[in-house]
Amino acid sequence: MKQIKQVLGGDLRQYTMVLALAVLIIFFNVISDGRMLTSSNFQNLLSGNAYVLILALGMLMVIVIGQIDLSVGSVAGFSAMAMCILAQKYELPWFIGVLIAIAIGLAIGAWHGFFLAKLGIPGFITTLGGMLMFRGGVIWISKSISVPAPEELRFFGSGYLPEWGPTFTGMNNSTLLLGIIAIVWYIYTELKRYKSEASIGGDSATPLWAVVTRVVLVSLLLAYFTWLFGSGREGTSFPVPGLILLILIFIYHTITQKTTFGRHVYAVGGNKNAAALSGVNVSRTYFLTMMNMSLLSAIAGVLFVGRSTAAGPADGTSWEMDAIASVFIGGAAVSGGVGTILATVVGGLVMAVLNNGLMLMGVGADKTQVIKGLVLLAAVAVDVYNKNSGRSSIIGKLFPSKESTEKKEG
Amino acid sequence: MRKKVLAMLLTAAMSVTMLSACGGGREGSSTSDSSDASTEETADAGEDSGDAAEETSSEGFEADATIGIALPWLGTQNWAEAQDMFKEQLEAEGFSAIVQAADQKVATQQQQIESMIENGAKVIVVGPVDGSQLGTVLEKAKDAGVYVLGYDRLIENTTGVDGVVQFGSVKTGELQGQALLDGLKEKKGDGPYNIELFGGGPADPNAPNFFTGAMSVLQPEIDAGNLVVVSGQTDFTQCATEDWDNKKAQQRMDSLLSGNYSDKEIDGVLSPNDGIARAILTACEDAGQPVPVVTGLDAEDESVKLVWEGTQYCTVAKPTKDLVAKTVEIIKSLQAGDGMPPTDVTANNGKVDVAIYELDPTVVTQENAKEVFADDEARMELLQ
Repeated sequence: MKQIKQVLGGDLRQYTMVLALAVLIIFFNVISDGRMLTSSNFQNLLSGNAYVLILALGMLMVIVIGQIDLSVGSVAGFSAMAMCILAQKYELPWFIGVLIAIAIGLAIGAWHGFFLAKLGIPGFITTLGGMLMFRGGVIWISKSISVPAPEELRFFGSGYLPEWGPTFTGMNNSTLLLGIIAIVWYIYTELKRYKSEASIGGDSATPLWAVVTRVVLVSLLLAYFTWLFGSGREGTSFPVPGLILLILIFIYHTITQKTTFGRHVYAVGGNKNAAALSGVNVSRTYFLTMMNMSLLSAIAGVLFVGRSTAAGPADGTSWEMDAIASVFIGGAAVSGGVGTILATVVGGLVMAVLNNGLMLMGVGADKTQVIKGLVLLAAVAVDVYNKNSGRSSIIGKLFPSKESTEKKEG
Repeated sequence: MRKKVLAMLLTAAMSVTMLSACGGGREGSSTSDSSDASTEETADAGEDSGDAAEETSSEGFEADATIGIALPWLGTQNWAEAQDMFKEQLEAEGFSAIVQAADQKVATQQQQIESMIENGAKVIVVGPVDGSQLGTVLEKAKDAGVYVLGYDRLIENTTGVDGVVQFGSVKTGELQGQALLDGLKEKKGDGPYNIELFGGGPADPNAPNFFTGAMSVLQPEIDAGNLVVVSGQTDFTQCATEDWDNKKAQQRMDSLLSGNYSDKEIDGVLSPNDGIARAILTACEDAGQPVPVVTGLDAEDESVKLVWEGTQYCTVAKPTKDLVAKTVEIIKSLQAGDGMPPTDVTANNGKVDVAIYELDPTVVTQENAKEVFADDEARMELLQ
C-alpha cells in the first residue's frame, strides 16, 4: 500500500474521486455491453456537459469565498438570448454577438458583485434576485419564442477539430497532437517536481521508480483517451467545447493555485477577518469572483445555444443546481475556503458519467434525478463524516487500504 | 542520474505515443452496424435535403430493431398516454422500444436522443421540448443513418428530420371556428352575436395555425356583420395567451368583460384549448354573464365533464391512440424498406420542407360525446 501511495503522490483525496469515476465508467461500460467507452459516446458526453463544467469552474471559486450564485442559469440564458436576438435583428457577425454576450455577462457580474461587495448583501439573496430578474428577462425579450443562433456558433457548441496530415495514424491528427501535448506537458511537470524535490532532499522525496511508474500510468491513460476521442468516425475528434473547457480548466487551475488573487480567494473563504487583517482586499475579491462567475455563465450559455442551434426561453433552468452539485461532489466545503478546480472537474464528470450511463441503460429522467440526488448526499456525507473522525476520503472507505484494516485489527 | 531519469521518461513517452498511434483504424461509420454503403447514402441524403419524403433510402432494417421515443415530459394526460401506447404497440410489433421523457429540459432531451443513437436505434420519434433546439443532435442521428420522425409538434431549424406526424393544426382551428358558429346558432338564437377571440402560446408553432384556421371560418361572418368582436381585438398577437397560461387568459377575459361588456351580453368565445376555455368560463361567471358558447381542445377530463353538463359548448379531441398508430405505421413502412409513405402536405421548418402526416381531429359536443368516447373507458366514466 505504501508503494501505491508513493506512486499516487501521497495526495490520495484527489485520486479517490478519480478512482470512483473510473469505477463508474467501467461499471456502465460492462452493463451497457461496451456502449459507454466508444468514441461517439465520449464525444457526446463532453460536448453535452461542457457547459455545466464551465459553470462549475466559476461556482467553485464562488463557493470557496463562502458565497453561492443561484443566478448562473438565468444569466446564461439571458446573455445567450440577447446575443441571438441582436445578431438576428441587426444581422451582426457571430463574433460581435459573442462579444455582446460576454459584455452582458460581465455587466451582470458587476451588478451582483456590487451588491455583495459594496452593500454587503449576501450572495444568496443578491443572486436569488438575479435569478428571478434574468429569467423574467429572457422570457420578456424573447416573448417566449426560441430564436435561431448564428450558424457559426455550432462549431463552438458541438464542432470537431479539423482533419489534417497523414491518415496512417488511424485517427484525427488534431486530437493526436492534443494528446501528445498533454502527455509531454504532464511528463515535464512531473519531472520538474521530481527535480525540485530531489534538490531539497530529505525523506519526503518520492523515489524515482514511483515517479516513473506514475508517469507511465498517467501517460497510458492519456494515450487511451486520445485514441478514444480521436479514432471515431471520420470528421469527428475531441470536441471543440471540450477543448474550450480544457483551456478554461488550465486557466482557472493556474489562477487559483499560482496567483496572488487565487490565494486571496482561499484566504477570504477560510477566514474573512483574518484575511482582511493581513491586508487582503476582501470586497475586491468578492467583486471579482462574482463578476467572473457571470462571465463564465455567459460563455456556457453561448456554447449551449451553439449546440442547440437556437436560444430558448427556458435555457439555463436549474443549471445552477448541476454546477453546485459538481462543486460539492468534488469535495468543496459549504463553509468556504476548501476545494480545487481539478476536484470540481472530477465531481462534474462523475455527474455527467452517471447521467450518460443511466441514459444508455434507458433509465428515465425521474429515476436519474433520484440517483443523482443520492450520490450528492452520499459523497458529501461521507466526506463530512471522515473529516469529523479524522479519516481520509470516501473511496478510502469503499476500498480499505491495508494500513487502515491493519489498524482496525490491531 | 539526471540523464538516467530523462532516458527512462523518454522511453516511456515514446512507447506511449507509439501505442496510441497504432491503435487500429478508424471506424467507417459511427456506432450503428449498418454497412458502409447505406451510411454513405443516408449521409448524402442529409446533405442535399430536398423533399424529405422522397429522398429516404429504401433499405429496411431488422424486424426486431430498436426504436427510440423521446417525449418532452409526462405532465399531461396525452404524453403519459403516448408513453404507454408506444411501448405497448412497438413491442407488440416485435421492436424493442426505448421510451424516455425529458422532464421539459432541452439539454436532457438532447442527451437522451444521443444515447438512443448510441444504443443503435433505427428510428427516433421526437416529441420535442422545444422544436428548434435539437438541430445538432438530430443531424447527428441522420449522419448515423437513423430516421427521425417528429411527433405532435413541428421540428424546426434543422435538416435532420424525415417527417412529422401531427393533427392538422389549421384544420383544428377550422373545426373550432365552425363549432363556435354552430354553437351560437344552436344556443343563442339569431345573430348578430357578441364574441371575443383567444389564441394559444406564441412560442408554440401550432398556436398561430389554430388561430388562422379559426379565423378563416369566422372572418367572413365578422365582415358580414353576423359576428361582432366587441373589443376589436382580432390580431393573433392581441389575442395570444403567453405560455398557454390559464391564469393570463383569465386576467385578459376579466379585463375584456369589465371594459366592454358592462351593458352587453357576451355570446361566444373562441378558445384555443380546454384550460383556457375553463378560465374564460370562470371569468364570465364571476362577471355575472350568462354562460357563453366556448370552444376548446384536448378533451381534458375536466372539460369533458363540462361539455357533458353543457357548460362548455365543445372540445376537440386529438386521440393519442390515432397519433401513435400513424407513427407506428410509418415505422413499419421504414422497416419493410418502403421508405417514408407519400404525403402531399409539407411545411417549411426554416431549413427544409418537411413532410407532414396530418390527422383530422374530432369535435366533441354534448350530443356526440358518447359516440366519440365509446371505446375510451376512462372518459366514458365521466359521462354519467
